[in-house]
Amino acid sequence: MAYTERQNPAFYAVIALLVFMSVGPVILMFANSFKLDVDIISGTGGLLFLPTIQNYEKALCDVLWYEPNHVDFCSLKFGGAFINSLIIALISTVLTLVIGCMAAYALVRFRFMGRDTVSLSTLMVRMVPPAVLLVPVFGLWNNEFCLDRDGLIGGAIRDVFGGRGDVCLAGTHSGIILIYVAMNLPFVIWILQSFIVQVPRSLEEAARVDGAGPFQVFFKVVLPLIKPGLAAAAIFTFRIAWNEYLLASALSDRNTKTVPILIVNNMSEFNVEWGVIMATGMLLAIPPIIFTLLASRQIITGMTAGAVKG
Amino acid sequence: MPHIRLDKLIKRYGNVEVLHGIELEMADNEFTVLVGPSGCGKSTTLRMIAGLEDVSEGEIYIDDKPVKHLEPKDRDIAMVFQDYALYPHMNVARNMSFALRLQKRPKAEIDKKVRDVAATLGLSDYLDRKPGELSGGQRQRVAMGRALTRDAATFLFDEPLSNLDAKLRGQMRAELALMSQRVQKNMIYVTHDQIEAMTLADRIVVMHGGVIQQQGAPKELFERPINKFVAGFLGMPPMNFLDGQIVERDGDVFVVGDGFDLRLDGPKAAAARAHSSKDVTLGVRPSDLRYDADAPADGSLSLDVLVSEYVGAQSVLLCQCGPAKVMVELGSDTPVALGQTLTFAVNAGGIHLFDHKTEVAL
Repeated sequence: MAYTERQNPAFYAVIALLVFMSVGPVILMFANSFKLDVDIISGTGGLLFLPTIQNYEKALCDVLWYEPNHVDFCSLKFGGAFINSLIIALISTVLTLVIGCMAAYALVRFRFMGRDTVSLSTLMVRMVPPAVLLVPVFGLWNNEFCLDRDGLIGGAIRDVFGGRGDVCLAGTHSGIILIYVAMNLPFVIWILQSFIVQVPRSLEEAARVDGAGPFQVFFKVVLPLIKPGLAAAAIFTFRIAWNEYLLASALSDRNTKTVPILIVNNMSEFNVEWGVIMATGMLLAIPPIIFTLLASRQIITGMTAGAVKG
Repeated sequence: MPHIRLDKLIKRYGNVEVLHGIELEMADNEFTVLVGPSGCGKSTTLRMIAGLEDVSEGEIYIDDKPVKHLEPKDRDIAMVFQDYALYPHMNVARNMSFALRLQKRPKAEIDKKVRDVAATLGLSDYLDRKPGELSGGQRQRVAMGRALTRDAATFLFDEPLSNLDAKLRGQMRAELALMSQRVQKNMIYVTHDQIEAMTLADRIVVMHGGVIQQQGAPKELFERPINKFVAGFLGMPPMNFLDGQIVERDGDVFVVGDGFDLRLDGPKAAAARAHSSKDVTLGVRPSDLRYDADAPADGSLSLDVLVSEYVGAQSVLLCQCGPAKVMVELGSDTPVALGQTLTFAVNAGGIHLFDHKTEVAL
C-alpha cells in the first residue's frame, strides 16, 4: 500500500506543492531583501536584478561601524530592538520552563484536590487568543500594575531614572515577559506532563531509597530524563516570544520595542520600505534558527532506554 | 545487623484491605523470602518495609525503633527493583555511586568502593557504559551493584530475576546465593517463583490473599505444609490432590477414594482417627510416587498413563486416577507405554491429608 503511494506521481506533486508553499515566501523574502524598492514594486518580479546590500545597511544602520552614503538619518534602532527581543525571549523562555516543569511534575506525581481540573484548565487558558487579552492586559499593565509615584520604590525609581510619575508594567521588559510567560505556560505544562508521565516511577523510588530528598529526585533524576521535552518546549516558547507582535506592540514603549514592531515601523503613510522590511525579516529569522539548532541537539529519542526492562 | 519486626501490618487502598495484619520477625543476617502468587501482598509488604508505601495500620520496627514515619533514606536499606530502575542518563559507575555521592563522601572512597563492587560482580569493563548499552543480565548486576555499594544494613529485593531468561535466572540465582553468604546482611526477597524461594531462603514466608500462610525453613515447609495452599504452592511439579474419605476397617485406618484405598500408619492414622470430619483431601507429591509393579494395593495407586513428558533424566507422567489427574515424577529409564495401567507405590511419609472444607492439614 505504502509502496504504491510512493509510486504515484500525484504524491510527488503534493509534496512539491507543500515544499513550494513553505519555502517559497522565504526565497521571495531573501531575494527581495537584496533588491532596491524600485525593483521590488516594478512588477517585473523577475529574478534578474542587480543585488545590493543597501537594505541591510539601512536596517543595521545603528550597529554599523561606518555610515552608509545612502542613509541620511538612522531612524531604525535595529540593535536596540534586537537586544530587547533577545532579553524578552530568553528570559520568558527560562521562566516558562522553570515554572512549567515544576508545575507539570506536581500535576503528574502529586495527588491533591482538583488536580484534574487544574490540569485541564491550564490548557483552556491556551485557547484564549492573544487578541482577546490585548485590551484588558493593556489596561491593567498601564493603570493597575503600577508602583505609586508617592510610594517609596516608585518614588526612588522616578528620582533616579526620571519619567512621568507612576512606574507601570507597561513599557517595561518585565511587563512583556510576564504576559509571554502566562501565554506559554499552559502549553509547556501540557507538553512536559506527557514527558514526566513516561519517567518510570521506580526510578524515583530507587532515588528515594538511595537517599535523595524530593528536590534531589526532581533535579538529579527527573529533570535530566525529560531534557528532550524541555528542549522541545524551549524551542516552542522561544519562537512564540520572538515572533509575537500584537501584545508587544501594545505593551512596549520606545525603548523596549522588539524587532517585529520595528519592522512594521518601516511603513508610513508616505512610503513602504519593502526592501528594508525584507532585510529585517531575514535578520529576524536568524536567532530562532540558531536557537532551534542548539536546542534540538538535546532532543535525542530513547533517552530512557535501558532504565527499566520494557 | 538490625532486627526487623512487622507488627500487625495492615494496608488498605481506599476501602479495600489488601494486607490483613502481617506479623513477621526476621533473625540476624537471615535470607527471608516472601513468596506467593500475584496479588498476595508480598510486594506491598516489601515496599512498606522500604518506606515506599504508607502503612495503614500496625508498625514496622527496625532495631525496636518504629520506622513507619521515616523516609526511605532514613531506614538504612538498599533495594533492587524488578525492572532494575537504573538511571539511564548516568553511566554504570555513576549509577552505582549515586547514593554515596548524595552522602557527599570523599571521591577517593567512592571510587574505591565502586571499583571493588564492580570487580566482584564482573562489571569492571562496563563502568563507563550507559544502562542502555548493557544486556539484561548486566543491568541486573548493576542494579545489584548499586545496592551493594551502599553498605546498607538491609537489602530488599523485589522480584529481581523475573525479567531474565531461564538460563540467566539460574546463573544469577547462584550468584545471589554466593553474594548473600559473602556480605552477611539482612536480605528480604520477594518472588512468585517457588524455586527461587526454596533455593535461596533461610526462611520462607508463604503469603496468600494478604495473609501469611506459613513460615519456616524451606525443608520444613516442603515436608510439613500446614494447609493445602502451601502444599500445592511449593514443589514442582505441584502436589497431587485427590478427594477421599477416612474409613476404619479391622482396626486400621484407610483413606479411600475413587481409584485408591491407602492404609495409614503411625501418627497419620492417629490424626485421621481423631479428626472430626471424614471428608479429606489426599495430597501426594509426584516425587513420592515410585513405579513398583509388586506394591501392595493398600500402599499404592493404580494409574492410567495419559501423557509422558520427557525432561531429560526425569520424566513426568500425567495419569488418570478416577476423575482426577495425577502427576508422577520418575526416572526416564522406567519402561512406560501410554495407555497402560501401572502401579505406583507411595513412599512412606509421602501421604498428606487435608480437611476437605478448611483445607488445613490433619
